[in-house]
Amino acid sequence: MNWFKTQISKEMWSPYIAGILLGIIGLLAVLLSNSLLGASGAFESLAGLIGKNITPALFSNIYWGVEGARSLPIMRPEITWPVILLVGVFFGGMLGAFTSRTFEFRFNDDAQWKKIIGPQPWKRWVIAFFGAILLEYAAGIAGGCTSGLAISGGMLLAPAAFLFIAGMFASGIVTALVVYGRRY
Amino acid sequence: MANYIIALFLGVGFGFSLNKAGLTKYYKIVNVFRFTDMAVLKFMMTALAVSMTGLYIFRGLGWINFPSVPPTYIVGNLVGGLIFGVGMALTGF
Repeated sequence: MNWFKTQISKEMWSPYIAGILLGIIGLLAVLLSNSLLGASGAFESLAGLIGKNITPALFSNIYWGVEGARSLPIMRPEITWPVILLVGVFFGGMLGAFTSRTFEFRFNDDAQWKKIIGPQPWKRWVIAFFGAILLEYAAGIAGGCTSGLAISGGMLLAPAAFLFIAGMFASGIVTALVVYGRRY
Repeated sequence: MANYIIALFLGVGFGFSLNKAGLTKYYKIVNVFRFTDMAVLKFMMTALAVSMTGLYIFRGLGWINFPSVPPTYIVGNLVGGLIFGVGMALTGF
């Protein structure tokens, strides 16, 4: 029991142990709900849901579906299974931080970020905002993000997942090279 | 309804494992692209290996049918991945 307590209160586990846990969660998702874990789709469904309530005409397309059309939308603008999953992820991350007593409100506290990009919180927020737009847009094109396509697709041996991982690492390495310059 | 409760619990487990793997931290994500900390890759590949093995065993036993496999669309998957990598290395999400 004490051993269990020490493990739970560790801030970081071996990535292999955490990976085994995620693998089991991914397996349970298929076994219990016949669904795949994913994060980006939930944001797309939420965006569609909000947009359809504000400007239905603008959001009436093949992506979120057209009223009365026979073909199904690519992203259902509803509270879908992934949306609920995302709510769980929020609390799960919180639980992780609480168990290791590292929960706090942070604005820019990453030592490496401060050294490379600067200590000002606004920089972190602006880059995070535009970077997140890129992420969500890219996930929309590819059909998923790191969890929804790379991991969930990968475990079904979908070729799409491996194409995505290849692209992600190729441009990620180049971007890191550009950002870090001589400090790479 | 039961499906949504399952989703909530699985989400908690998902978020918890991400947090404990340190994937909520900027330096963990960006350092994998600098080859100085490969935790993200170790985490992803372990998860892949575990769930892949389980899925194929379960399917062999006839317990599950595979959910719809993400469609292969070479240009989309690749270009999406390329843009995604830029965002990931910039923000560390």
